[in-house]
Amino acid sequence: MDVSFRKIDIDQYDEDALLVTELYEADPRDPAQALNDVKQKAAAVRSSLAKGDIVAALMLVLEDAPYGPHLDDAKVASLCANLHLQTLVSILNSTKSSEIPGVVKALSTDAQDTLMKYLYKGMALPGWGDVSGSVLLGWHEKLTEVAGTGCIVRAMTDRRLV
Amino acid sequence: MSNVLRPYLSAVRSTLTAALTLEDFSSQVVERHNKPEVEVGASKEVLLNPLIISRNENERVLIEPSINSIRLSIKIKQADEIERILCHKFTRFMMQRAESFIVLRRKPVKGYDISFLITNHQTDTMLKHKIVDFIIQFMEEVDKEISEMKLSLNARARVVAESYLAAFNV
Amino acid sequence: MILLEPHNYIIQTTLAEKASQPSALDVQFVDFDGVRFRLTTPDRKVPTALVLSMSIGCWEELVRYGVLDIFKREYGSALRAEPEFGYNVSLDLNLEQFPPEGEQRDAYIKSLAMLKRNALAAPFERSFQAQRQLEAAGSGQGELMALHYRDEEVIYVQAAADRVTVIFSTMFREETDRVFGKVFLQEFVDARRLPTIQSAPQVLYTTRVPPLEIRHLQGLNDTEDVGYVTFVLFPRHFAKPDVAEATITHIQLFRDYLHYHIKCSKAYMHSRMRYRVSEFQKVLNRAKTEAAVGDRKTVSGRTMSTR
Repeated sequence: MDVSFRKIDIDQYDEDALLVTELYEADPRDPAQALNDVKQKAAAVRSSLAKGDIVAALMLVLEDAPYGPHLDDAKVASLCANLHLQTLVSILNSTKSSEIPGVVKALSTDAQDTLMKYLYKGMALPGWGDVSGSVLLGWHEKLTEVAGTGCIVRAMTDRRLV
Repeated sequence: MSNVLRPYLSAVRSTLTAALTLEDFSSQVVERHNKPEVEVGASKEVLLNPLIISRNENERVLIEPSINSIRLSIKIKQADEIERILCHKFTRFMMQRAESFIVLRRKPVKGYDISFLITNHQTDTMLKHKIVDFIIQFMEEVDKEISEMKLSLNARARVVAESYLAAFNV
Repeated sequence: MILLEPHNYIIQTTLAEKASQPSALDVQFVDFDGVRFRLTTPDRKVPTALVLSMSIGCWEELVRYGVLDIFKREYGSALRAEPEFGYNVSLDLNLEQFPPEGEQRDAYIKSLAMLKRNALAAPFERSFQAQRQLEAAGSGQGELMALHYRDEEVIYVQAAADRVTVIFSTMFREETDRVFGKVFLQEFVDARRLPTIQSAPQVLYTTRVPPLEIRHLQGLNDTEDVGYVTFVLFPRHFAKPDVAEATITHIQLFRDYLHYHIKCSKAYMHSRMRYRVSEFQKVLNRAKTEAAVGDRKTVSGRTMSTR
């Protein structure tokens, strides 16, 4: 007797079944627009960095960061997320380690949470682009000192993945 | 503790401390069952974002939190064939004794060398900060142990080779 | 113990004991490379007449390389024409004719205990002679003598005009053995650079790829598990008879020596891991909270129990 029907996941046909997309509100912007935003920000960040204003550059990046996989256009969304990560990493890499605590303190709680999310994302991709484990670990340590464990918990629980 | 390793271990420590907020949670899928949700993976809403802490490609820790259990997997540094085999032997040796290491998983998660599974039952009966201490101390000493074993193997090989060849000196 | 002893310890101690107090016996025992021994008194009433027999894997090859001549030289009339059933060679020993107690007897017993070593010496002695002839002739190469001393492992001995090449092929059944073996063999190659052991034979090793000397042979194993170790013996290692004896004694134990130390390292690693794991266990146990002490009783003496 064919028993393969037992392997069928019947829960996916349940009307009440919970979908991943229902766990959080999607980014209101559509991917193309988000990509545009990210590109504009990258340029703005470069000019801030040229002036040496790291806090402003970080604020710019961490505000309205693109998040979540867009189911309709996943390719553009991931391109968008990676580009944004690259912009952020360029800021992190150009900060002196002695300046980090001051910079972190100047950020708002929301920005700190988003920064934490990006740190974990960067560490998940070691060797990608110019991501360096030791730089991220340095930032992680300082950020945890300032923002506490709660910041990590929020990065862990927030479904709006960057 | 060496200064190079410190930020890595402190990141693991803080992340693990944050993740170890577990509570009892019965299965939503099967009645009267209570199992580690991170292993079952059947209800998405109780699983949290997995976090990776890495020093480089070869040394990283994966922490997968959920409502009533967390899974922590470690990839240990292996620079060459000898370290690879020593690491494999050591982790296998430990995992065969998983019964006495309550938090140890019998099999590592794919892509990692050793995994721990901590459930709410364990955080109920054990001190959380001491469990964290154990994991950190394990990570610290496993590297040291492997490099010491490698050194002792090389030293032994040297003595063995020298005394054999010296016996030809007549 | 770093170096292995070339003689068989059981033969040595048993004969030494029986030489002073003869009594009937029948013992069977083994040595490296699957060699089997039997020491008996065929007639229980004559405890002074003993037979020592040996079975060795590559007997036919050894006969071809002249092992019988060596045995006649070493043991003379004690060598039986017809070996005991199931064995390759038998020696008739008469305890009454043993040399008097003291150094002489010890030396005689030791030479009996070296039975296996003397058997394996055959190809080496022959190649040393061949080298002398070739050196006189000026050039040429001697016969390539193969000795299948274990099921999958072979010793090759070949003489040339200026040297004798000895090649061991050895199997590493487990990956751990293979990796450890590599470390050891690399040290053999490196150790020779030390000024104190410059005069030792040159050592080369390869894994999988057979050395040039034997590459033309058929049926060579070329899997990852196999290693080839080449020793190049120069005339200084066998010019004088006593040096030649020592060289043979030493080199025929190479394979056993290597594997013995690989096993020792593994045992050492194991005991280390055992210790380290018990240390980890102690750290984890510190996390456990104290269990409730004993039974708790009510005032009237009844035991409380949790349901």
